[in-house]
Amino acid sequence: MDIDDILRSVDPSTGGIPRETTDLQILTRLWVAERSAPELLAWPSDGVFERVNNRIKAQIEKVEDMTGDMDPTTNFALIVIQTELERFKFLVRSYLRARIAKIDRHTLHYLSSSELRSRLAPTELAYATRHQALLHNHYLSSFLNAFPPQLQNLNDTAGGVSMIDAPDLDTAVFVRMLTDKEVSGRGSDRDNSLNAAEGDVLIMRWESARDMVTQGEAELV
Amino acid sequence: MASPLPPGLAPSEIAFLCEMELITIVPRQKLESIDLLSGTTPTLRPPRRENVPLWLALLLKKQRRANIVPPPWLHPDSLQDIIHFETKINPEGWAPPPPPSARADGRGNAQRTNRPGTTPLSAPFLSSCTSDAPTGAIPYHWFELAEMLLAHAADDVTSSAEVRGLLRDLQEVRSAKLRAIPAQLEAGIDGVMSLRGVGAMELAESRGLISGVIEGVRKIGASAELSRREEEEQRGDADMDNEASDDDGMGF
Repeated sequence: MDIDDILRSVDPSTGGIPRETTDLQILTRLWVAERSAPELLAWPSDGVFERVNNRIKAQIEKVEDMTGDMDPTTNFALIVIQTELERFKFLVRSYLRARIAKIDRHTLHYLSSSELRSRLAPTELAYATRHQALLHNHYLSSFLNAFPPQLQNLNDTAGGVSMIDAPDLDTAVFVRMLTDKEVSGRGSDRDNSLNAAEGDVLIMRWESARDMVTQGEAELV
Repeated sequence: MASPLPPGLAPSEIAFLCEMELITIVPRQKLESIDLLSGTTPTLRPPRRENVPLWLALLLKKQRRANIVPPPWLHPDSLQDIIHFETKINPEGWAPPPPPSARADGRGNAQRTNRPGTTPLSAPFLSSCTSDAPTGAIPYHWFELAEMLLAHAADDVTSSAEVRGLLRDLQEVRSAKLRAIPAQLEAGIDGVMSLRGVGAMELAESRGLISGVIEGVRKIGASAELSRREEEEQRGDADMDNEASDDDGMGF
């Protein structure tokens, strides 16, 4: 902590919210959104994930240093640090696992266009491409090679029906508003709009809610 | 490796979120500030009140290093007010959530904490469970927080037996309202439906039922919806044509 941090913590105009807390808020929001959204969301481009990951690594090193000296006064601090470390690890892991589950489910869909590919992190992209290739080779060697060559593809779109399965974007989701805004949505029986205030919980289709969520006007719950 | 859980937060994950809520404690021992990943903890000096995350507060409580100050809305009087509101004043909807948090900017203006340009904070980071929280309005994580406090720090909660009874009443009143939603959906499903004031655990409980009903109706009525949209589009085109011809008429 340097003098800038101290000044920022007492300055009323910045609200006194430290960077670490904001990062935790962002990561928590990403995790909840990924757990609730029917499709894969974009990988965070502001580097929050890398920041948090680096901090976790530094904290693990600190724990290793601290376990060396068995001073009873630092013992309790160590318990607190380790408890928090485990909480962060859970958050990060659960976020990544929720993403992998979605990639596994609709691999070819997320690899099909460059817009969808850009939602994946580089490592996720490598995983998805390799996993898909392995799977297809396995199918080829076990049964697909007995088929005529034109039927051996997994991404056939002949006859107006695409073989590539896509997530259902009209799934109903629960969102919480982060600003006061008039919200409109498409429904089965009626399309309507209503005035929502900050903190209100709404049920709507993901298709209608997506723009608000990506622009940070609402979050999934 | 991949997460086996269905979409939507599970109750255990909601409890995990709730443990990030800030709560006020009265330390009983001195404790230096600790560098955590989510920021540094305040230096604890008895009997100065400090706000810490709930998981830390419960850890300190278990080791008898601190007492927890329950949030003002957990007081029996406040709970009674909310129950009165939910049963008598507005038996249809839920009690409104606490107002958006505001802070002083040092020049005499009250400003909302969530301003454009900053990362907006939402539950569980709103400090709606500290001792500064307003009474008479229950926050998003009310149920989980109250349950955890009653389970691990019942001796710190004012008249805990009464609070427990009132919480049960409140939960019953509110869950009856959530259960009534699928019946309301029979009248037609709108594009946006508001559940203003609903709690996290209540939502987790009814999420499957409500979204299941909406999904089912959507799939059954997909063709009806399509023809309705086509009809509206045609009518919209017809209106445009009329307007255009009106303009022509005015021109002459």
